[in-house]
Amino acid sequence: MSEQADLLRGTLDLLILKAVSLGPLHGYGVLLRIEQITHGALLVEQGALYPALYRLEHQGLLDGEWGTSDNHRRAKFYTLTATGRKRLKEETESWNRTAAAMSAALKTRPAEA
Amino acid sequence: MLAKLRSYARTLRRRDAFEDSMDEEMRFHVESRAADLVRRGLSPAEAARRARLEFGSIEKQKDVARASVGVRILDELRGDIRYALRTFARNKGFAVTAVVTLALGIGANTAIFSLIDALMLRSLPVYRPQDLVQLNLAGQAGEAPFPTFSYPMVRAFDHRRDLFDGVAGYGGSGAVVVGPPGALSRVSGAFVTGAFYETLGLTPAAGRLIARDDDEPGAPSVAVLSYGYWERQFARNPLAIGQTLLINGAPATIIGVSPPGFVGANVGQTADITLPAVMTHDPGLLENGKGNFWLRTLARPKAGVSVAEAAVRLNTAWRQIGDTVIAPNWSAARRKELANARFVLTPGATGWSFLRDIYTKPLWVLMAAVGLVLLIACANVASLLMARASSRQREIAVRLAIGARRGRIMRQLLVESALLSLIGAAGGLLLALFSGRVLLDILSTGAFRVVFDLTPNGHVLAFTTGVAMFTALLFGVAPALQSTALNPTASLKQDARTATGVSRWLPSLVTLQVALSLVLLIAGGLFVGTLRNLRNHDPGFRTEGVLLADLDTPPPTPSALLDEIRRVPGVVTATFSTHTPLSGSRWSEPAVPAGQALPDRDTALFVGGGPQFFDTLKIPLAAGRAFTERDAAGSAPVAIVNERYVQRFFAGKYPLGQHLTSRLNGEPRDLEVVGVARNTDAIGLRGIAPAVVYVPYVQVPKNHFATVMVRASGGLADVAAAMRRVLQPAMPKTPVQVRPLSAQVQATLLKERLMATLAGALGVLALVLASVGIYGLLAYSVARRTREIGVRMALGAERRRVVTLILNGVRRPVMIGMLIGLPAAWAASRSVQSMLFGLQPGDPLAIGGAILVLTAVAHAAAYLPARRASRVDPLVALRHE
Repeated sequence: MSEQADLLRGTLDLLILKAVSLGPLHGYGVLLRIEQITHGALLVEQGALYPALYRLEHQGLLDGEWGTSDNHRRAKFYTLTATGRKRLKEETESWNRTAAAMSAALKTRPAEA
Repeated sequence: MLAKLRSYARTLRRRDAFEDSMDEEMRFHVESRAADLVRRGLSPAEAARRARLEFGSIEKQKDVARASVGVRILDELRGDIRYALRTFARNKGFAVTAVVTLALGIGANTAIFSLIDALMLRSLPVYRPQDLVQLNLAGQAGEAPFPTFSYPMVRAFDHRRDLFDGVAGYGGSGAVVVGPPGALSRVSGAFVTGAFYETLGLTPAAGRLIARDDDEPGAPSVAVLSYGYWERQFARNPLAIGQTLLINGAPATIIGVSPPGFVGANVGQTADITLPAVMTHDPGLLENGKGNFWLRTLARPKAGVSVAEAAVRLNTAWRQIGDTVIAPNWSAARRKELANARFVLTPGATGWSFLRDIYTKPLWVLMAAVGLVLLIACANVASLLMARASSRQREIAVRLAIGARRGRIMRQLLVESALLSLIGAAGGLLLALFSGRVLLDILSTGAFRVVFDLTPNGHVLAFTTGVAMFTALLFGVAPALQSTALNPTASLKQDARTATGVSRWLPSLVTLQVALSLVLLIAGGLFVGTLRNLRNHDPGFRTEGVLLADLDTPPPTPSALLDEIRRVPGVVTATFSTHTPLSGSRWSEPAVPAGQALPDRDTALFVGGGPQFFDTLKIPLAAGRAFTERDAAGSAPVAIVNERYVQRFFAGKYPLGQHLTSRLNGEPRDLEVVGVARNTDAIGLRGIAPAVVYVPYVQVPKNHFATVMVRASGGLADVAAAMRRVLQPAMPKTPVQVRPLSAQVQATLLKERLMATLAGALGVLALVLASVGIYGLLAYSVARRTREIGVRMALGAERRRVVTLILNGVRRPVMIGMLIGLPAAWAASRSVQSMLFGLQPGDPLAIGGAILVLTAVAHAAAYLPARRASRVDPLVALRHE
């Protein structure tokens, strides 16, 4: 547990969008999916999950529908809307640019400066 | 953005469902987690505990989730409102006083604003009213633009399709006589040019509207009804279209009904029957010439032609148009002056109203006055809130101590203020609706009925809501800031009754109220004084006992009719007249002593009067004789001039026996002066009496004015009824109405009466509000100082000294208020000087009276609390907590 990094601000939304883009998920499923796709490296604070989900739904990026879960219980499943898909793409590109820039910056050796 | 709104709407509409689903979803989460933990080998009980622990409080999660969707603030608002209403219910006295105060203040503002809106701001209910312009001829330097044109001019403008889609001309509203002999009635009507309805872009409610073809010489006579008249007279029966009405004695076919809401371009005056201009009873009005500028215009510039461009091109076009429409019989100088005139286009969206000229300034003055009243009301509510804040200090300190943020408490306090304001505004709207009717009734007692639709529209509702919100901020922010700016620990330790800091503000609020009340009282006194002075003013003629009956045309045998009227019991003298004093209608002509050249412009007012004219009005003659039966139609033309005329044109020469060169209704006349009359206020009670030339009624050429004037003794109502019985059979085409001259004179004082009534009433309202404020301040300070007073009295202070002590608390703010109020009142009354009569802004009676009344009322308001202070029982006061 101690090796899991805290989530950077703003990356939770991106992770949720990514997780949901892989298939409809209920809230707890989002948590598990993120754990899975980050190989357990990033921990989502449980308390932060639902506010984020509601906010994204409110912004029209996610769509919530009630359905039946694997264990035959009623659960709310989230899917990505068209706007959500567009946002995910933009955020991913922006993230990649930032990450590349950061990584390049951090690789700089004294002689190259 | 749209998604957000939809989400809001969904959440709010199905609030319970939202809460339930949130609950279910989170519970599912915790259970799923617990199930996973069981799978990892935990006992079910331990798993459930761990899962709950990891997730944290579901309620807290829900709260954060609500905030993220943005509905939490609404929840809190609802809570605040509920809490505020509970507080009001606990403090009914406070809530009722505040709401009533605000309702009075906001109601007065709404009432005046509704009138301003109806008279000046509301657009005509026509197609794209903002595109309409009014044509004016620029006057000479310093003169106002000239807004009326002759019939041929308006038609010529309308033909310029390169500039305008249409140019509509309309005459002022007036009465037309409708119906067959025996069932005559006067109905308000208007004459319009053929382009009127098309230019305004109106579609008929039934039938068709007047078109250009209807306004051609020889076209069949037609009439358009207003929707209201169609409803009242024909119960909206479509068969009314095609029926024939007798209008001014001639048949006209009803061709259609104008759309509901549209009652003509004259704002405030309904035209129930609209006729093509070509049907005017005076054919002279269709020609070019002097005195025939009777049509106002509304023009719609062609699409793509800007207003500025239209003006420039109209000025160019005028060079050609002018040649054809300027009267050829004018002198070369006047023709040239008109031909060189420039056009000014002004916005036409709001139509035109003669009421605007009269009431614009009074209404803005009243708007300022009700604004001051609102300020006084705000000061009242603010001091109520502050006084209450001190008793709530402990409540607020507790809430701060247990962790409420200051902003949160301020929001709660401001919600209370806003709520008070909104309830007050609702009351104010009702009040305005009622008082608006009263105002219209006052306005309608004049010669014309004033018709406004005062049901609150969007403008008025927006205004009232805006005022309410503004007031809430005005009276709510300071108390809210003050009552939350405290150190909870100190306040909790402190005894609420000795808490300080709040009362510092209260005296300054009283000062403000006193200053504003003084301004309003002095203004009220000045307007009441103006009305009194005008009523007591001698107009140069006696109105008491004089009855008037307007006949639409001169009777065939005037003197025989007069003889018949003189036989009516109670009639002392009877005469004919073309124009009666202060009727609003006037006749002017050029007239100069013989030998001088007759000028282009009119030099004197003319009045045609019969024998006994001067006896009936009791206008004294300074020299010479009055008109007699011998001044008949065929005998030598004579005239009586008034002293002003003598002073202006005969400068020192003895006028009797002199001759005047004149032109009467276009016919040259040589008049011998046979008498000199004293001056009268023929056209207005204010200002200088005009120069007047009286001529014998039967010697007026082409006359079509006729009013029977009678001086009667005894019961005027009986004489009036008897006169009507004589006149009606003699004038079968006229609905004869007999009315007193005094009513006609009173009607000219309408504006003054409105100002005196309203300014007086607002002064009294201000006084009442200010006295409530003073009472509140003292009652509060006595309540807070009960213990101190008890100690003083226990130590031997006399009751009288205690009363003085309390009264001193209010004397200072009242005195300062008056010192501030006096110069403010002087400045304010300077700005309305032109509306006053017979007194100056510094009128000692108005100022002294206002100070006296204010002082007396302040003392009366202070008396009750002071007495309560003097009755304090030291033992009780000291034991009191």
